[in-house]
Amino acid sequence: MLRIKSKRKKILLQILLFVMTLPYLLPLLQMFLGSLGGRGFYNYAAVWNTGVVPTYFRNSIIISAGVIFIVYVLSMTAGFGFAKLNILGKEAFFWLILVALTLPEVILLTPLFVTFQRMHLFSTFFSVIFPLAALQLPFTILLIRNFDAGIPSELMEAAKIDGATTTQAFLHVILPLTKPIGSAVAMLTLINSWNSYLLPLLFLQKPSMQTVTLLPQYFQGEFTNDQTKILAAAVLTAIPEIVAYLCMQKNFERGMSAGALK
Amino acid sequence: MKKKLSIRNNGMIWILPAFLFLIIMIYYSIFFTFNLSTMDWDGLSPTMERVGFANYTKMFKDMVFWKAIKNTIVYFAITFVVQNFLGFVFAAILHSDVKLPTVHKCLIFIPTILAPATMAPVFRLMFSPQGMLQKFFDFVHIPITVDWLSKPQTALYVLMAIVVWEFTGMSFILYYAAMSQIDKEMLEAAQIDGAGNIRTLWTMVFPGCKGTTVSLAMLGVIGALKTFDIPYLITTGGPDHATEFLGTYIYRQGIRQSHLGYAAALSVMLLVMAVVGAFLTNKANKGD
Repeated sequence: MLRIKSKRKKILLQILLFVMTLPYLLPLLQMFLGSLGGRGFYNYAAVWNTGVVPTYFRNSIIISAGVIFIVYVLSMTAGFGFAKLNILGKEAFFWLILVALTLPEVILLTPLFVTFQRMHLFSTFFSVIFPLAALQLPFTILLIRNFDAGIPSELMEAAKIDGATTTQAFLHVILPLTKPIGSAVAMLTLINSWNSYLLPLLFLQKPSMQTVTLLPQYFQGEFTNDQTKILAAAVLTAIPEIVAYLCMQKNFERGMSAGALK
Repeated sequence: MKKKLSIRNNGMIWILPAFLFLIIMIYYSIFFTFNLSTMDWDGLSPTMERVGFANYTKMFKDMVFWKAIKNTIVYFAITFVVQNFLGFVFAAILHSDVKLPTVHKCLIFIPTILAPATMAPVFRLMFSPQGMLQKFFDFVHIPITVDWLSKPQTALYVLMAIVVWEFTGMSFILYYAAMSQIDKEMLEAAQIDGAGNIRTLWTMVFPGCKGTTVSLAMLGVIGALKTFDIPYLITTGGPDHATEFLGTYIYRQGIRQSHLGYAAALSVMLLVMAVVGAFLTNKANKGD
């Protein structure tokens, strides 16, 4: 993209890139160094020995898996329908999705609080999984719609001529091609459900059901605001996310580009 | 005729499950909120009192509401420009011949995946007199006290810096993808003709990424209006409402103070603004 001829300018560009990236590293350094303050790695042992960390992790995994499952199934089918099939009043449905895309989480709190209590869903994992999935769906449907639209229609028509039904064409022709966007959707959904703070805070009242994002608060109470241990807990919650991202990085990038272009 | 209709409608069954889900969760909640915004209710008493548009008239006279709007506008204008400028420059540099591209890409994107709830304690420490910034200023003997989060004049700017830190990765990855679609030969031809790097970036690459910029504008408008986690967790909207956003104010009014009708009116206002914002940016995209 940039045309650099002289060796000196190449080095300068490399230095510029490094200087620009440094601020992105600093908070992570602060987190790690801060977590070692006082008694060093003992902070991690203290956090681990409270015994709550695995529970919080398990709960976050359950919630994220549930949300990813719902979002994946519903947005794959809906995205396919939007991109490749005929729907009466498509434009209207599209606008319904766009409105849902703009909806802030905080608006859902009161209506769902009241409704979940009536339906005895309050303080179950469903009370967090359902709203998170609903908040995620509009964006992932749009991404998959854009991706599927880029798949040549001839592929589906060929399958149809061979006698395949729409369902078979979806399962055997479209779905295998959607791997990049599938990873991107799974990754985005994982980020948003793993990171969600407000819904678990309000809807999961039992300590045994709380999620990793509530760990800093737990330790604020437990260690009477001992910063170093709170930061050690933060590092422990960040590591699985970073590992998951690094594993899916290539596919994620490809999916984002294919889904977001247009 | 019947056959034709069924062909025309064969996609309905595919989008129906997602739509039913959205209607039950989201449209039900929107309807509920509309209704609640005309009530006076504390969440506990068995009856709600219908008050018409009283909550809305109260809102327009509420200084904190206007403060939140002002904060949102300032926040959007600055973070949008800075974050996308950085994302664009990073994308251009990483599309060029540089060393360790993957390391840089990951470092830029990792902030996007980390939870604000996880990072909030880190930022509270970092921008406090105990943090690394203060240590740095002390080390180079610059007499600055890092207490910016506790000052109304500076707190909002610190939050903006944190948000830029968090979301540059998103701008970067979308610009990076858009740039890989740009015709390299055309750029090279222009560069051989003597156009400098900055000129080609500004006159050829940036216009070539227009679709991405518009998408980012739409996500930015919606994101700015939705802002909640970062101000709530780092400053809880303070000091003195300096970092109040509609989201944090709705939470304060609704959940903290149990003014549910008033919080619902604020929510309706927020939703209307988000939809209008999304509509306008979407229209700008289709316009040319």
